[in-house]
Amino acid sequence: MIGVGSRGPRGEEALDALAGGPASRAGRPIHAARASWHDLDLRAMDPFADRAAWVALSLVPGMGPASFAAALRAYGSARAALAAGPDLVPLIHRAPPDAAAHLRRQSGESVARTYAGVQRLLGACDGRVVTALDDEYPGTLAQLDPRPPVLYVRGASDALHATSIAVVGTRRASGYGRSAAIDIGDALARAGLVVLSGLALGIDGEAHRAAVEAGGRSVAVLPSPLDRVYPPRHRSLAAEIVAAGGALVSEVPPGAGVGRPDFARRNRLIAGLSAAVVVVEAPDRSGALLTASLALALGRELYAVPGPIDAAASSGCNRLIADQSATIVTSSGGLLQRLGIHLVPADRPVAALSEVEGLVLGSLLRRSASIEELMRLLKMPAGALASALTLLEARGLATSYGGATFHPTLLARGRGGGSRVADSA
Amino acid sequence: MLAQVSTATVLGVEAVPVRVEVDVAHGLPGLTIVGLAGGAVLEARERVRSAIRNSGFEVPPRRITVNLAPADLPKEGTAYDLAIAIGILAASGQLPHADGLSTSALLGELALDGGIRRLPGALALVDAARAAGLSEAIVARDAVGEAAAVRGIAVVGAATLREVIGHVSRTALLPVADPAPIPDVVPSDAPDLTEVIGQSVARRALEVALAGRHHCFLEGPPGTGKTLLLRAARGLLPPLDEGEAAEVSRIYSVAGLLDRAAPVRRERPVREPHHTVSAQALVGGGPRVRPGEASLAHRGLLILDELRHFRADALDALRQPLEAGSVTVARVEGAVTLPAAFQLLAAANACPCGWLRSDRRLCTCDDGAARRYAMRISGPLRDRIDLWVTMEQPASLLSEIDGRVPSRVVARRIAAARDRQLERQGLLNADVAAGRLLADDWLGRRAVHTLVREGERLLLSPRRLHRAARVARTIADLEGSVAADPAHVLEALHYRPGIDR
Repeated sequence: MIGVGSRGPRGEEALDALAGGPASRAGRPIHAARASWHDLDLRAMDPFADRAAWVALSLVPGMGPASFAAALRAYGSARAALAAGPDLVPLIHRAPPDAAAHLRRQSGESVARTYAGVQRLLGACDGRVVTALDDEYPGTLAQLDPRPPVLYVRGASDALHATSIAVVGTRRASGYGRSAAIDIGDALARAGLVVLSGLALGIDGEAHRAAVEAGGRSVAVLPSPLDRVYPPRHRSLAAEIVAAGGALVSEVPPGAGVGRPDFARRNRLIAGLSAAVVVVEAPDRSGALLTASLALALGRELYAVPGPIDAAASSGCNRLIADQSATIVTSSGGLLQRLGIHLVPADRPVAALSEVEGLVLGSLLRRSASIEELMRLLKMPAGALASALTLLEARGLATSYGGATFHPTLLARGRGGGSRVADSA
Repeated sequence: MLAQVSTATVLGVEAVPVRVEVDVAHGLPGLTIVGLAGGAVLEARERVRSAIRNSGFEVPPRRITVNLAPADLPKEGTAYDLAIAIGILAASGQLPHADGLSTSALLGELALDGGIRRLPGALALVDAARAAGLSEAIVARDAVGEAAAVRGIAVVGAATLREVIGHVSRTALLPVADPAPIPDVVPSDAPDLTEVIGQSVARRALEVALAGRHHCFLEGPPGTGKTLLLRAARGLLPPLDEGEAAEVSRIYSVAGLLDRAAPVRRERPVREPHHTVSAQALVGGGPRVRPGEASLAHRGLLILDELRHFRADALDALRQPLEAGSVTVARVEGAVTLPAAFQLLAAANACPCGWLRSDRRLCTCDDGAARRYAMRISGPLRDRIDLWVTMEQPASLLSEIDGRVPSRVVARRIAAARDRQLERQGLLNADVAAGRLLADDWLGRRAVHTLVREGERLLLSPRRLHRAARVARTIADLEGSVAADPAHVLEALHYRPGIDR
């Protein structure tokens, strides 16, 4: 069952094992003992009156979520903290040299001006500010400490509050990984869950798109500001996500577009927003493993899709499973079952397939394979298999994602879709 | 007095006949050459004067006008020396019995002592003389071997101007050279197909490509056998037929690449330029238009390994010959068309590290770099590739040992399929005009229906469909079918370019 707030099935040893791993590379302590947000009484603050000050304070150079909490504690409110001017600098962890000068310029007027500027930029990209004081602020982030004081959101707010499952993985996805991401994204969306991911190329993109194409909702956490969607190639996908009732979320303020995309903060936010994390395909040292360890630290359920033992693209996933940090995903149906959801399988599509095509599709449904492998399995010549696969591709029943290995599509698995073959022109 | 002598000159890779008209008249002594003669041609005056004098004859001290016709054709080089010299002697009455001159082509450069030097492109020049209806060609003695490859014309070798004079005045006839023998086909030293591990799809695609002269591209990670397959291809093609051999020999003759000992070629040319080749070296050109690799691979294979490392302008220049089978080089003086009906066989990695989309190993390339790398094969070039094969490393080095068909068996199947095409339409399938492709009597009604329907589903362009139609016809020819099956069409569609991401 999805246990928001409950500890996952794993003990602390797994965490320790991972502590030397990607989590520490993020450079941010997961349990920030200092400046914790938990003992702050946010209810005492006025979400409307403090809004501009919150945004302005979060934009102070070097101001991270932990420093923000420290400032709130020390001064009682964001407005008061800004009024303190350069005195605030010692509270900022690793404050850059221009922080003091920036704070010296802060006055009532400049705060309003800053906020208006942010609003103007957000208006242009249809976004809005959501602070930790707002009701719209996702409840799942309450466990994140320190939590981002200000989020920038575009799209439906209810998508942020529905139960969401993070589907993450490598940008350099193999056909196998893409196929699995589509299967899982589609199954989760059909089950009414929100598919959460980072809009990256590869696994993330496939999961988002599968959810949108299944008519479901998806939330993309951006490593970049809302007015500069990263990666640019997924701008239209981002628009589709919003149009389908999903949302885009970013911690990065609009107008900060020239900086590098902040993947570490994005991954942390994905872990925080999700009820469970599924790592579809990740090599060693993948950013998805960072999300995985953060998810474990937050007590989220962690799942991983296994890969062949010699597949470098899946070595991270395999290690998560071997370490018993993650629960193995053997099928999208099995994943839904573990999440406590039972989906009635749709009927198999009735397509007019010849005997050879039926054999090939049947073989692919058991295991994805290249023509070379199909030749061994089915004892048929390469030419006959090539023509059978072309027909399956044209019918939207199989695809190779440009590689040598062919995979059955969602349509072949009896779950609609099938429009994805359009890619191979 | 007026004399007319025949010679020929090289234009691009074709030789064209040239008439040398010499008029000797009263007037101020001098030698004038007209008819768009270039610098080297004008220098012929000095060579001709010395050669005539040193051969014991004289240049009459009168007004001599030499016209090179057709006068609008720009002329370069030393090809006219011998013809001009004989023309002067005939026009000045020093060759009283030169009846044979009207049916002879005189093809040689003169040395100051009256010796005759060979001209580049002797074979092509003699062939032009034959085509112009002349019955005899007089060439430098050391060019006889090459020139004698042309049949249907008597080839005579001469070492000096005196010998030529003796021959044309019928006082000391020179012997007619024996026609060059047609050599046996030498067994190819290409690696055998059995050396390639696995890769049934790539083998199959290569066989189809070679059977119909379709352009073929292999993409895949390192170590899959791409290069080995390309090398094996040279051992799979049937020898040149007589007409093709003549075409190829002419091109090689002009390029100065003909083997003098064995001027008649039977083996299909295989050119494998390095990826640093310039656009001009690849398709031909230069101030005096010379054939490039594309023309040297005419009727044979142009193998471009590591296709994505070739210069963009060089690959761009390949677009025309890939489509038209010839290259047109435009010059101020006019365009020259070089034959370039080659078959492209190419291979490349999918990304700089080579492992993009492989299931075996992880690609370490930056996404942008991988995309830029993929785009080095531009859309128009990709459109012109008939068979695109995505390869993967074999799962086991020991796989499929039994299934490997040796090169000689595949070569036989390819030759049979080519014969069927030539018998049906006189052309290979790749050369069939687009208008005929979708006709019922060519591909078959059911096959056309399948092609159009599935092509639409796969969102393929009309050009892609045309290419698939030709490939499908070849697949049917490999099987010996009269009409192509829907299955043949579907297989042809399988070899379309992969996703570009």
